[in-house]
Amino acid sequence: MSTFRADLHIHSCLSPCGELSASPRAIARSARERGLHLIALTDHNSARNAPAFAAACRSEGLAAVFGIEITTREEVHALTLFPTVKTALEAGDEAYERLESEPFDPGFFGDQVWVDENEEIEGMLDKLCILCATDLSLDDLGPWCRSRGGILIPAHIDRPAFGVLGQLGFLPEGPFEAVECTEPLSEDLTDPWPVIASSDAHRPEDIGCRCLEFEAPEADFEALVMALESGKTRALYGNK
Amino acid sequence: MTIKELQTDMNCRAVWNGWEDREVTGAYTSDLLSDVMARSEEGQVLITIQAHKNTVAVAVLKDLSGIITASNRPVPDDMIETARDEEIPVFVTDNNQYETGWRLHELGGF
Ligand SMILES: [Zn+2]
Ligand SMILES: [Zn+2]
Repeated sequence: MSTFRADLHIHSCLSPCGELSASPRAIARSARERGLHLIALTDHNSARNAPAFAAACRSEGLAAVFGIEITTREEVHALTLFPTVKTALEAGDEAYERLESEPFDPGFFGDQVWVDENEEIEGMLDKLCILCATDLSLDDLGPWCRSRGGILIPAHIDRPAFGVLGQLGFLPEGPFEAVECTEPLSEDLTDPWPVIASSDAHRPEDIGCRCLEFEAPEADFEALVMALESGKTRALYGNK
Repeated sequence: MTIKELQTDMNCRAVWNGWEDREVTGAYTSDLLSDVMARSEEGQVLITIQAHKNTVAVAVLKDLSGIITASNRPVPDDMIETARDEEIPVFVTDNNQYETGWRLHELGGF
């Protein structure tokens, strides 16, 4: 068994609020420099940067998990994490399809672009991936995600904007594989789920500012899920 | 009704000053920003309890005339800052959303 560090909530240039400098390569480099072992890319309602992220993590020697931060119809942000690029891309494309949004002028937030392994822009999304919601409810999301081999973690549950506690006033029954908090919360609010901390970084320099420590034989998706199930994780809020 | 008249008549507090006055063409009440994105119309004032900077982003994208945060919701500093940068008037009222909408209907005729 070894102790690893994971950051399971990171945005790239595909997110409208993510800086253009937040390319998959820059993310992987920053994560390695900050001593992380496993990272997840979780752009809003799309996973189009997953292939480039996989390549970038491979070259930095990091374990990669492929996610989407989905906006539910209750306007709750939830992390859905998948073990493979293929499942994440399929899930991401369906989430994007189910996003209620007119094409928007990117002016206010900037472009939502995805890139190839060489940082060349491959395309851009024209629905606005934040502020708009999918038609999936938080209750739908568990089965939707698990039928694809993924796990579900309501994001920043303690934040007034788009956190489940603020949106609904309570934590629904779940089940969830974990809940994400931005600071230590009373167990009354998070029970019975494991708590994770992650950066929600929109700039490479913020990666790892919060992270998750987990004990496992190796750093990969399966081992992470096992560690969550068996209580072998610890949320770190002020990491350095 | 203009924004300035709205502020005076509704007796609500501006969280920043120096915005340009403009016509208020109607009002929209919702706490789901995705709903505001999908259904509000240009020139309307938004009555909401979602007091955070994303609300300002929605107001910019939909060209709303202003935001009223009801029920005396505290307005965070980063929301005030974004509103000032984007020149979106933001007001706070002690009234709840129903009362605010009802008073606007009485005063503005919409
Ligand atoms: Zn979020
Ligand atoms: Zn996020």
